[in-house]
This record gives sequence, structure tokens and C-alpha cells, in this order.
Amino acid sequence: MTTGLGTALPHLQDQDLIDRIIGDQAGRPGALLGILEKLQDRNPHKYLPMDTLEYVAARTGVPQSQVYAVATFYALFNLDPQGTHTVAICRGTACHTRGSRALLERVKLQLGLQEAADGADKLTLTTPDRRFTIRTVACFGQCALAPVVEVDHAIRGHVKEQALIREVEALRKERAR
Amino acid sequence: MTEKVKIRIDGEVIAATAGQTILEVARTNSKYIPALCYMEGLSAVGSCRLCMVEVSGVARLLPACTTPVQEGLAVTTSSEQLSNYRKMALELMFAERNHTCAVCVSSGHCELQSLAQDHGITHIRYPYNFPKLTVDTTHPRYVLDHNRCILCSRCVRTCAEIEGAHVWDIAGRGIGSRLVSELQRPWGEATTCTSCGKCVQACPTGAMAEKGWGVEEMTKKKAAVSRLTSMREGQ
Repeated sequence: MTTGLGTALPHLQDQDLIDRIIGDQAGRPGALLGILEKLQDRNPHKYLPMDTLEYVAARTGVPQSQVYAVATFYALFNLDPQGTHTVAICRGTACHTRGSRALLERVKLQLGLQEAADGADKLTLTTPDRRFTIRTVACFGQCALAPVVEVDHAIRGHVKEQALIREVEALRKERAR
Repeated sequence: MTEKVKIRIDGEVIAATAGQTILEVARTNSKYIPALCYMEGLSAVGSCRLCMVEVSGVARLLPACTTPVQEGLAVTTSSEQLSNYRKMALELMFAERNHTCAVCVSSGHCELQSLAQDHGITHIRYPYNFPKLTVDTTHPRYVLDHNRCILCSRCVRTCAEIEGAHVWDIAGRGIGSRLVSELQRPWGEATTCTSCGKCVQACPTGAMAEKGWGVEEMTKKKAAVSRLTSMREGQ
């Protein structure tokens, strides 16, 4: 059977890692989700590169289109390299009425990011130096704490513009130290 | 699974086999239920919501293509409620993408268009979405125009279930859903595509068409694709 691997293969040690992860999950129904989740977690930039997806498809026998469909359906999976720090701003109704749009605009301005013109409901922006990723979330389920912002997987409630800017600024200086 | 059951479709008693769906029974008995995502020979997904029917004793509407028949089932295939519901479903399909019949290769042979005509749709009550979409002309023989795609997934199932190549799938979710070949590769560069063209023949609209046809010229051979499944079952 041909693998259908037309383009570049992942590095050899990455191939080894992928093979091991696939081996752990082999034969389980819905194994693809677990495989992709583990692979993204092991990736230094927390994303699934195209060559990885292609290799997973070839190794598991799952059609490439199906691997891609799964990877794009779930908001959990990233197809682009993520920043070291992640700021997730809730754009749900409760947070919107409590001014989450202003928070998003302010942080975008602070990091010098611009929204893509297509206006997709899910927004993910990463700074060119890959230090920060800003993303929007539909709802954290913490509406009583609106507006909610998640900074590096820690939930912050009742977020004020100034407090958020200070926090992002602190993270920015962290590595400089 | 050859247990015989009797059901009623619009009052008429019809003999059916347990395990068949309402839509299958209706079609074999010349009872018309509109459907777009259903195609004979493919698995049913129940995504277009046009085959919704009323079943007595059930408060909500049920999709005929995925509801199996049971002894004593009584189905109503047309009513004012169903007509309104189907109209709404069709109008939302028109509003979602850029369907411009006047310049479409499939105009006059389009299932979406003819269903709209059947339901007396003269205008769309919902604001158009006007998405910016691409046209993939990279394949030497076929074209894919996302503007005309209704995401019925008939091409996806035809390629996966009949051809066995599974070149297509639906990526993304909700309003951002798009038909993709492989890892969003251009169709012409898809390594698994056999260029058989069955997806094109299965497409109900002008989203997939053969190259070289002008407006209103593309007719599809859907029955030929459906026939492949029945031929194989007979073997």
C-alpha cells in the first residue's frame, strides 16, 4: 500500500513519536481524537502541522479528508503555531454585555494584532514572535463572573481593562528578565 | 429482518419491511417526499431537513430518510406546517451561499432550484450571507464552485461509500463549514482522487460540474451512481 505521502515527511524522531502514540491507541473506536490531542500536546508550539496530519492519515488508514475534518471541527485543535502565552477572551452574550469586545480590542491593540478581514466567529491571532496568542471563546460557562478572560489556562473573572493590560505586560516582561 | 409491517402514508395502507425507512417505503410506492441530502444507494444523514414528515402520536417532525418504519405507523407527508418548514429550510440554503441561477451550469437541472419552484419560493425572507468563496478549477475535468454548495455531503458519501476513495469531507463547523478534498489540497492535486466523476454526478446543484459546459447545459447522471450500489448488492 502506498502511503500517499506526497510532500515533506515529519522528522524521524517525530515519526517515531507519532507511531508510538498511534500504537497506544490502536484499534480503539474514535482513536483519532486521542491521537491528535496527544500529538498537539507534545508539539512545542501546540499545533498540528500538515505533515503530521498527513502522516497520521497514512499510518492509521483514516482518509486525509476525515483527519482534516476532525481537526477543523473541534476548536481544541490548532492548525497554526500557537504563542507561548494564550489569552482567551469570552465573546458569549453575558461577557459581551459586560464589555468583552472592548477587552479584545484593547489587547489586540496592545500586542499590535489585526483581525483577518473574513470576520470568522472564532478568532485566533498569534504575534509574529510567537509569544502571544489571542483567541475568542464562545462561552466558558462562568457567566456570573462576566467578563471572563483565561490567561494561560487560569480563569479570571470580572476582568477590568487596566488589570488585563497589566497582566499581559507582566507576561511580556517575564521572558525579558 | 424480513418481518412485514403495515404502515399508512397519507391514509393509504402500505406493506413494508421492518428496517426500511419511511422515505424508502414512500419512494417504492410512488409517494412523493422531497429530499436533497438523501440519495438512493448512499447512507442517509438527515441533514437537509426537507423530508420531514408528521408521524401520528409524535409531537415533533421526523426526518423520513432516517426514521425506520414500525407496525401501525401513520405518516402525513404534506401539510401547511410541513410546507412552511420546508420552505424555510430551502430559503436558508439560498441565503447561506451565493446561488445565482441565471449564470449556473446546472440551471434547469438543479435539484435545489426545482424544489424551490415546487414550493413556490419567489423570494428569500432572510438576509443573504454573501460569503466570499472560491472556485476550484485545478482539476483537469471538473470544477468545484463553493458558492453553489449546500453541504448535502452527497459527494462525500459517494466518494467514500461507492468509489471507496474518501477524497471529500466537510471541514469546519456551523456557518464556516466547507467541502474539502484531502488536507484542503486543491482538487487537481488530490493524490487519492481517481477522477471518476461520481461526486460530480451525485451533486444536486451546480457546485460540482464537468468542465466545458455553458449555462443550463450540465445534466447529471445521478441514477447511474445509485445503480452501482444495487448492482453490487445483487452480486
